[in-house]
Amino acid sequence: MASADLQAQLAELNRSFKARLQVELQSLRVRSEELLVQPAANAVSLAPLRAELHKLAGSAGTFGFAELGAQARALELIATRCMDNNVLSSTDRQELLTGIQVLPSQLNQLAMPPTASQRAFDNDDNEARCIAIVEPDGQLLQGISETLESFGYHTIICGDADTMLSIVAEQTPDALVVDMSLPQWDAQWGAALEQVQSQLPAPLPLIALSDQDGFAAQLHAVRAGAQGFFTHPVDLPGLENRLEGCFSLQQSEPFRVLVIDDDAELARRFTAVLAGFGMLAETLEAPEQILEQMRRFQPDVVMMDVNMPDYSGPELAQIIRLNDEWLRVPIIYLSAETDVQQQMAALIKAGDDFITKPISDSALLTAVYSRAQRARRVSQALARDSLTGLLKHADIKDQLDLEADRAIRNKQPLSVAMIDIDHFKNVNDSHGHAVGDNVIRGLANLLRQRLRKVDRLGRYGGEEFVAVLPNCFPADAWRILDSIRSDFQALPFSSDAGLFHSSFSAGISFSQAPDWQADGLLESADKMLYKAKQQGRNQIIAMPGSDEPGN
Amino acid sequence: MSELERIMHIEDDPSIQEVARVALEIVGGFTVMSCASGTEGLENLEAFAPQLILLDVMMPGMDGPETLARLRRTAFAASLPVVFMTAKVQSQEIAEYHQLSAAGVIVKPFDPMTLADQIRGIWSQSHG
Repeated sequence: MASADLQAQLAELNRSFKARLQVELQSLRVRSEELLVQPAANAVSLAPLRAELHKLAGSAGTFGFAELGAQARALELIATRCMDNNVLSSTDRQELLTGIQVLPSQLNQLAMPPTASQRAFDNDDNEARCIAIVEPDGQLLQGISETLESFGYHTIICGDADTMLSIVAEQTPDALVVDMSLPQWDAQWGAALEQVQSQLPAPLPLIALSDQDGFAAQLHAVRAGAQGFFTHPVDLPGLENRLEGCFSLQQSEPFRVLVIDDDAELARRFTAVLAGFGMLAETLEAPEQILEQMRRFQPDVVMMDVNMPDYSGPELAQIIRLNDEWLRVPIIYLSAETDVQQQMAALIKAGDDFITKPISDSALLTAVYSRAQRARRVSQALARDSLTGLLKHADIKDQLDLEADRAIRNKQPLSVAMIDIDHFKNVNDSHGHAVGDNVIRGLANLLRQRLRKVDRLGRYGGEEFVAVLPNCFPADAWRILDSIRSDFQALPFSSDAGLFHSSFSAGISFSQAPDWQADGLLESADKMLYKAKQQGRNQIIAMPGSDEPGN
Repeated sequence: MSELERIMHIEDDPSIQEVARVALEIVGGFTVMSCASGTEGLENLEAFAPQLILLDVMMPGMDGPETLARLRRTAFAASLPVVFMTAKVQSQEIAEYHQLSAAGVIVKPFDPMTLADQIRGIWSQSHG
């Protein structure tokens, strides 16, 4: 097989697919307008659009237009939800229209992500997440609602459990908070909620509140599908933190799986099966390089054969376990070994679980998915700062090192910002620590909302934050941070003495051609932060050489 | 176990037909016959005598599951390995296809470089 010839043929197919889509996407656009703009449009009108979107979702990725395929998939899911509920809300209608309009632009953006600043500012338009609440205690209800609103969520207050059911069916909030001490809450209502949830593409995160603690109450919550449980008096920041955790799991990066098997064909097949379900799978190229590959790939799960010619699975697993940094990563043996004694011997040495081959695709997926999900949750809980939900000091430093190396490898610019709240000691002294904590959380939340998903955010010290912005020129970093600065300055905080305002300063350093930097980025950003403080605070200063205001 | 050589691909989308042909013939070294519909597949079944059929789920007219049911009623394909191709990703649907006696399910979008390996994997499983 001539591989150059193959590449040429595939490239030619990609070209003709693109040419065909240029025509088809235009006609899809025209048809979507005809179908959706007329006042009589309803969920049934969506059927032909959904069929087209489904086809695109399945084909575009094969021809190198993965992003286009992903967008078509997202639109297909909206259409499916509308058709299943037989409701076409104006929001959904608008989202479909806009989504289909912009599909053709994806054709020209093959492997070309939008520039960092463009995407960072697009985030401004993000609709706030909507949380539906049922809580009979008026004061607690007000507390929950205010806390969530101050974190940028919208809240819908439901008078009783039935109202919530109909809201879930129609408006589709993004998550539910339900007090199970309600008189109406009983098994029947739990079943009704489950029924409504099962109609949705994915069940909504549910947080249960209760005036009872203990096994019975928690069992009750789990049976209703709750992902969080809080007893009165409710820990409000904890509640918000839990919600955020549910959302970040929903939209997190694909799971990463490292496959180690001496049967190259089988390894390739596992990789393909996992990739087919949106996971990132890599095979180990050389066992001697295992730690280097793990450091580069950062797997959530390692899956390995037991009996391999040069090194055994348990040996490799023990090497992984010699390193504390991989303690969070589960190791699954996947082997034809059915002798229980042998299995146990392997597990005693290292490794967490044993699965026997041959295995069906769906069993393999379930095994890997459930372990990856659990590993992610544990990592999140360990790495997150409990006040802000951002990464802790050591973890944001690790992330920075990773991103700095990746930036050099991919030849993409990287910006780093060190952010510090101005006169924070005064806030604590005059309003108390609880109010000070609110200010810290307020800034954390604003940063989280305004930066992109790919950006890394950490709480570096008491009132100090670090933002790592991959593929972002310092000029763009300066602009987005300055806009956050002006919004933060306008944000009111309440204390016993009434409302007050706060502000922050930031310094920016960067690594870009021709001066790629892997070290010293934090120190340089800190120097610029110091300069910003000296020059009067409430400002952003970037390192010289970035052609930005403030040098 | 005999070597897999002849694959019939039933798929209405011409772009997918072509890329799968390249993926299976050039990358995988198989002999492929592409059919644009279930009807066309049934008509050519005995003449081409495939060892495995790759079947798209969502087609206008006769869809994948219905085509499979018709294939199963023929003497030739009563127990032939049939692999579904689908853009659905919910594992529950995948399980349903397996219950329909499909030998495997390939999820779209597929990677042309690994499609042949996936098929080989299913082939060796269904003969294992």
